[in-house]
Amino acid sequence: MTDDCVVYVIDDDSSVRAALEDLLASVGIRVLAFDTTTAFLTHGMEDVPGCLVLDVRMPGQSGIDFHRSMAGLGINLPVIFITGHGDIPMGVDAIKHGAIEFLTKPFNDQTLLDAIQNGISMDQERRRTKAEGLALHTLWSSLSAGEQDVARLVVRGLLNKQIAAELNVSEITVKIRRAQVMRKMDAQTLPDLVRLTEKLALSS
Amino acid sequence: MAMQLRNRLRLVLLAGVMATLFIVDTVTNYEVAAAVFYTIIILTAAPLLTRRTLILLATLCMALTALSFVLTHKGNLPTGLANMSVSIIAIVMTTWLILKMDAARQDAQDAQAKLMRVARIKGLEGLTTSIAHEINQPLAAIVTSGNACSHWLAHDPPNLDRARQALERIVHDAGRASTIVARIRSLSRGEAPHKTVFTFNDAVQEIIGVSRGEMERHGITLELELPPDQPPVHADRVQIQQVIGNLLLNAIEAIISSTNPVRTIHMASDVRGNVLRLSIRDSGVGIPAGIRNHLFETFWTTKEDGMGIGLSISRTLVEANGGQISAEPVEPWGALFCFTVPVAQQDQHQ
Repeated sequence: MTDDCVVYVIDDDSSVRAALEDLLASVGIRVLAFDTTTAFLTHGMEDVPGCLVLDVRMPGQSGIDFHRSMAGLGINLPVIFITGHGDIPMGVDAIKHGAIEFLTKPFNDQTLLDAIQNGISMDQERRRTKAEGLALHTLWSSLSAGEQDVARLVVRGLLNKQIAAELNVSEITVKIRRAQVMRKMDAQTLPDLVRLTEKLALSS
Repeated sequence: MAMQLRNRLRLVLLAGVMATLFIVDTVTNYEVAAAVFYTIIILTAAPLLTRRTLILLATLCMALTALSFVLTHKGNLPTGLANMSVSIIAIVMTTWLILKMDAARQDAQDAQAKLMRVARIKGLEGLTTSIAHEINQPLAAIVTSGNACSHWLAHDPPNLDRARQALERIVHDAGRASTIVARIRSLSRGEAPHKTVFTFNDAVQEIIGVSRGEMERHGITLELELPPDQPPVHADRVQIQQVIGNLLLNAIEAIISSTNPVRTIHMASDVRGNVLRLSIRDSGVGIPAGIRNHLFETFWTTKEDGMGIGLSISRTLVEANGGQISAEPVEPWGALFCFTVPVAQQDQHQ
């Protein structure tokens, strides 16, 4: 998992930045370090799984403020906070807003590395789900309107006869469309189809 | 003791003036409004009396005015009546104004004291926050670089070049941390004492003056043993007063948090060779066994909202002025804090 992912570090302190870059490099994780949130935004993100290690107190925009604005900027990276002077309420608040870890400097390297692995896994999972959703949507939109109608009723557990009555078509038509649905959606069995449509409902 | 004696003398003197006024007011005609001069008595006595005794004195003055009116039989009666009324109104007004002014002054003092304390605590809070942040940056870098270094060494074969670079960063960041520490130390050392020659007990009295309200509010009796004719001392007057204020405040707080019905603070100064020693003894909670050694350490406190700096700052200040500070528990209750200040040498007198 370490070959194709990146950790973004934003910390205004050059010593901390250099040390973090080296630590991550020593365990084979690629790092991009920035001294301000603006520099990070200017550079932009790579299209690979990653996570963000964010300092709380920085001149200009603080880490906490940036974290709050991330959703609005369409940045979904998991965030790990590091701070020189953190209090419990601040940490609780950050976690409540979705940060995965809040570490006080100086921090234990294993705790940080674990959090980073965890963050990257989360991002991979998020990206995978997103990609799957997209693919599934493509499959779904390849169905004709009539096929989609049949699919919706099939997964509700209706028999072909009932579907035919409901849609006011012949049972033969239902059978043909049903076979098309199974083929186009790449579903082997009925439970397969049910699972796929459930995912569709979740990701739509 | 000397002060109390002087005050008592003044009161006796005022009583004499009052008797004279009464006689003059009684023997002269109605037209002579001698009773108005009772206001002078009230004005003079006001700083020495509590609110209640001041009101009593004013009542007494009014009663005497009325009595004089009854006993006097010479002159125009309506004028006498008018004069008596004017005198009584003058007495009432004077007393009322004094009481009002006193209350206002008290309020102002309270507000000032509160403000000072808040400013002190807030200032320190901000300071410790930024110190913690400043120090933690290089510390975090050092720890992280150290970890990176051991990772590089664990590689097969070890990446010595990267490990060496990490070590160089560690050395650099350690240097940075020690610079910050040095800066903080110079900050906490504060300014060098600005030493002058002054009368020690006067400085003590000034601090007692600002703390008296606080002690009265909590029903604390202050016993003073500040003999006159002590040689002047050579030190920074403001810093020494800070120490006195700190110790007195601690004594007051120790009594407030104690359930002991005896609520006294005893302050005494005495000359011991070439130093003058001030001792402050309170009947408060005392010093729990085992913490005596930590008393003067920075950030060491037993108070819930304490910062643990008061006594450590006091020690720094006393030592900067060439003195020593010590503390010990007292039987059967309370604590005793002492500190010394050097007596001024002949060539330091100006």
